[in-house]
Amino acid sequence: MSAGLLSSEGAAGSSRESATREAFSAFTAGPGRPDAVRAAEDAPTRIRRWTEGYAPRSGLADELVGPDGFLRGAYPRVLERLARLEEREIAARFLAAERHIRDAGISYRVYGDQREHPWPLGSLPLVIDAADWAELSAGIVQRAGLMERIVADIYGPGRLVAEGLLPAGVVAGSPEYLRPVHGMTPPGGRWLPVYAADVGRGPDGRWRVLADRTQAPSGLGYALENRMVLARAFPDLFADLHVERLPAFFQAFRAGLAAACERSDPRICLLTSGPYSSTYVEQAALARYLGFLLVEGDDLVVRDGLLHVRTVAGLKRADAVWRRIDADYLDPLELRADSRLGVPGLLEVLRRGGVVTGNMPGSGVVESAALSPYLPGIARALLGEELRLRGPRTWWCGDPSGLAHTLDHLDALTLRPAATAVRGPERDAILAPLAFGAARERALAALHERAFDWVAQEPAPLSTMPTWQDGGLVARPFVMRVFAAGTPEGWRVLPSAFCRVAEREDGDPSEMRAGIRSADVWVLSDTPVDAPLLVHTSAPRIRRIAGHLPARAADNLFWLGRYLERAEAVIRLVQAHLGGFGEAITADPCAAEDAPTARRIRALLKEWHCVEDADLPTAALAQEALSGRAAYGSALNHVLEARRLTSSLRERLPAEAWRSLADLRDTLVFSEVFAPTEAQLRGRAERALGHLSALTGLGHENMNHGAGWRFADMGRRLERAINTCGFAASFCAETASADDLGVMLALVDSQIAYGARYLAGVSRDAVCDMGVLDPYNPRSAAFQIEAIVAHLDVLPALAADGLPEPHRRHAQTLATTFRTAEAGTIDGEALDDLASDLECLADGIARRYFPNGPDALRPEKLVGLA
Amino acid sequence: MIYTLRHLTTYRYARTVRYARCTLRLRPRDGGGQQVLESALTLTPTPKSRHERRDFFGLDTVSLVIDAPHRDFSVEAVSRVLVERPPPPPPGSGAAWEAVRESALAQPSLGPDGPAHFLFASRRVPLEPAVTAYARASFSSGRSAYDAARELMQRIREDFRFDSKATTVSTPLAEAFRLKAGVCQDFAHVMIAGLRGLGLPAAYVSGYLRTRPPPGRPRLRGADASHAWVALWCGPDMRWIDFDPTNDCVVRDDHIVVARGRDYGDVAPIDGIVSASGAQKLAVEVDVIPEGEAAQA
Repeated sequence: MSAGLLSSEGAAGSSRESATREAFSAFTAGPGRPDAVRAAEDAPTRIRRWTEGYAPRSGLADELVGPDGFLRGAYPRVLERLARLEEREIAARFLAAERHIRDAGISYRVYGDQREHPWPLGSLPLVIDAADWAELSAGIVQRAGLMERIVADIYGPGRLVAEGLLPAGVVAGSPEYLRPVHGMTPPGGRWLPVYAADVGRGPDGRWRVLADRTQAPSGLGYALENRMVLARAFPDLFADLHVERLPAFFQAFRAGLAAACERSDPRICLLTSGPYSSTYVEQAALARYLGFLLVEGDDLVVRDGLLHVRTVAGLKRADAVWRRIDADYLDPLELRADSRLGVPGLLEVLRRGGVVTGNMPGSGVVESAALSPYLPGIARALLGEELRLRGPRTWWCGDPSGLAHTLDHLDALTLRPAATAVRGPERDAILAPLAFGAARERALAALHERAFDWVAQEPAPLSTMPTWQDGGLVARPFVMRVFAAGTPEGWRVLPSAFCRVAEREDGDPSEMRAGIRSADVWVLSDTPVDAPLLVHTSAPRIRRIAGHLPARAADNLFWLGRYLERAEAVIRLVQAHLGGFGEAITADPCAAEDAPTARRIRALLKEWHCVEDADLPTAALAQEALSGRAAYGSALNHVLEARRLTSSLRERLPAEAWRSLADLRDTLVFSEVFAPTEAQLRGRAERALGHLSALTGLGHENMNHGAGWRFADMGRRLERAINTCGFAASFCAETASADDLGVMLALVDSQIAYGARYLAGVSRDAVCDMGVLDPYNPRSAAFQIEAIVAHLDVLPALAADGLPEPHRRHAQTLATTFRTAEAGTIDGEALDDLASDLECLADGIARRYFPNGPDALRPEKLVGLA
Repeated sequence: MIYTLRHLTTYRYARTVRYARCTLRLRPRDGGGQQVLESALTLTPTPKSRHERRDFFGLDTVSLVIDAPHRDFSVEAVSRVLVERPPPPPPGSGAAWEAVRESALAQPSLGPDGPAHFLFASRRVPLEPAVTAYARASFSSGRSAYDAARELMQRIREDFRFDSKATTVSTPLAEAFRLKAGVCQDFAHVMIAGLRGLGLPAAYVSGYLRTRPPPGRPRLRGADASHAWVALWCGPDMRWIDFDPTNDCVVRDDHIVVARGRDYGDVAPIDGIVSASGAQKLAVEVDVIPEGEAAQA
């Protein structure tokens, strides 16, 4: 990781904090009103003050105020309830919510940007009453079913095209029309286990669909996170207002996927493009919440016509895949040949019915903007019903009448690509207004030659909802993504949504980016919602982490353990140099920079690449080893590596781990202008060790002691054993001085134990025995190897032939060496041998369990031929 | 004319490959003036599984999985094909190109031969304004699509230099157009991009071309090559006509069609993934032997 990431993360953090302050300053310091007056206010006065400046733009529908000027829908209820709280308290609750977002690491990326931005949860939820929601919901159910039937027809009988209800060019021109999918029947029967639509209100106040999302809609996880955050902040409001709960939807969705699988206890994977995906954090959250395995393409492999996950127990069948990567990247054999994200052969598995997939590849074809004019006719033909939810009026210019209308009304229409660019800034690029200038000429030229590449649409300004600004409410444009899941009992709509609202009046909230916030959506039931306590309903009822640990996760956890332990060893070395401990046995040993012991510490720091120059003054050397960016072995660089790994392990680690790691990183970063003193550095080192113990404690106490925990612990123990052998080789030589031995005891954190055991001062063999061979000392090398053997004994074997696998034999041999060795015979050479033997064991473990082990092969494309 | 076709592809890997999965598109197409009399594949090593399937565009493909460790992989496809096509239509035939464009959009079909598939940019054929402008010069208002395409083909043959060193299989179309050089694949892609830029349905055709040894000299074994050209949908009556811009001719009995797709990506003879981490070396030998003429060693 580069320095850039760190500083930019810092920058993103501070800009978020200032945004937070702006967003919530409304509650604490309105213009020109002393707090004393406020405190005495009653709820109606407060509401009047909040809404007095509220002015939605005329001609646009608004959530808060109806055309008659009165508060609409459920808002009177909500404001009345909210206004019972003092503004100071509301502000405090929102700040707590923001803090939770930061601590839990809820974040997103903007497409094309490497940074993680903290999740911007807006202050006020969007509130919808039961009747309004019922109407929207019925429209969504109809539309979801319609879309699924259109997809099925396009890839199946082709009746819609043959009967003239849908022009062939609309389908063929969509980049999401995937020809290899033609003729497939989706295993389990569903093309769209998830359907989503972006909706807003038309000028008449009726809901309308701005875009259909059928490819791999994002947002479900953020809707869930928004709810969890607000449910913590306002548990009382949720109960009083009868806000509809979410868990039942997720249970139904999971049950729907599971029911489609052949096996009764299916292994369901969430296929991600990895930690650099713009919505990776939500994917990890969903995987954790739903109990799906979070996998990347490399983790999956096709064998014998079925899909498998690489796990530490070998290949295990994957029954279903919920994909969050675009379909074109799913299979380099039949789709995009240059894709590194997919699984070669996946489409063949689908063709043979071997894996349930949501959404089926090719489902994105109905996202095409050119489909819209044909939907009412298709709805009549396929469903015998009128379309309940309309979109803005649209004309496909490949249709002669559509083109004629467009040319006649060019000034009143917006023009956009029919086959939307799949993502990026060009998505939904709108080429309007066209009234003047070169744009009009270009548009006319485009319409002349390849008119079928374009659709024209009547302008559809977004309807507005209330958000906080400057002590009152203001109307801001929003888009709300509503989700439906296909379940065995039919379509089920999430009674909430993923809402995005612009901070400014002219913002476009169709994508998450700067200036756009998200908001929770509260659907208010007319009757109390049957859930005893909100805290319970939001807690994951359906968590069920699947049995076998994916090989990639094992690899990452193992290295997470190693990096954290290495960071700890570096910090302890620095601490020894700074003389922060060791007083129990000897006098402060290392104050003088050229004392022999100090020189040995410096040599080791150099050997470990913690510093580039071993002759710096003590404070500078310590700072470099702790927080330098140039030398790759500094404690900070190890912590940053650990953080990088953690970001792909989010669904497996306790949420607090993310925060502890951030604290650890912050402790190691020196932002002061003046160089820190030795005393300050000592303080930092101590605090850093404190955070590391917190992380260790979290691992032991808050992580399920399954295979994942074992790999993290093995990594840590293997690294500790290697480091301890290295310490002993430096500070426990035959000629070691009392200072050296004191440092050795300090490094293995055993001064007190030593003092209690030996009353007669330090002796080389006794120190060596305690640090290296003593199986009862949790810091000794011998203790580590015993723990590793114990871990390996319970990890799964590949073959049931009863023979120990090579890496286990190796571990046993090493353990025997430690068990039978005597301190007197363990010299420097023996210690070096043990350290390299331990490295070999690490390789053996990697070879057996990890996808990127020393012998790993990557799939390579066959080179082409003309 | 009856041809015997032999297409031998050999991969040699620097390191042992333990697992390979590939798709072969080597069987010539039946229909459209062609009849496949025989077709056989010889594969070394023998695949663990072999699965045949007709793909979206009507091509017979074979999917293989090889799970035995190997350093060499060879595919030999041998076919006998009868080719008997009518002579090309006379100049001036067919509908005006603007009418072709309109009727292409009006066809209510997504079948493999339906023109709608071939109207849009594809991965290897992006629409380049410069290429469209180049093509437009031949498409004057009201001219028959067939005539205009013949002229475009002729211009490509004149303006472009055949140079197998100038481009590779992955050279982007815009680059080949800028260089005005390349091989049959590049010329075909340029012509397709020009036609599609004007809103006309154009397809990529892969296959073989009969070559004639120099007078008095025997045919050399493996001296032929696979070939590529263009098909244009010329309206609901004339339908697909094949144009070879490399040789400036409308296709008749010297061309043997294997596959038709949107671009090279749809018809690549061999496509696959191997689990390996080293270099690979590829060798291809092709023989196109007209019946009555024997191949020489």
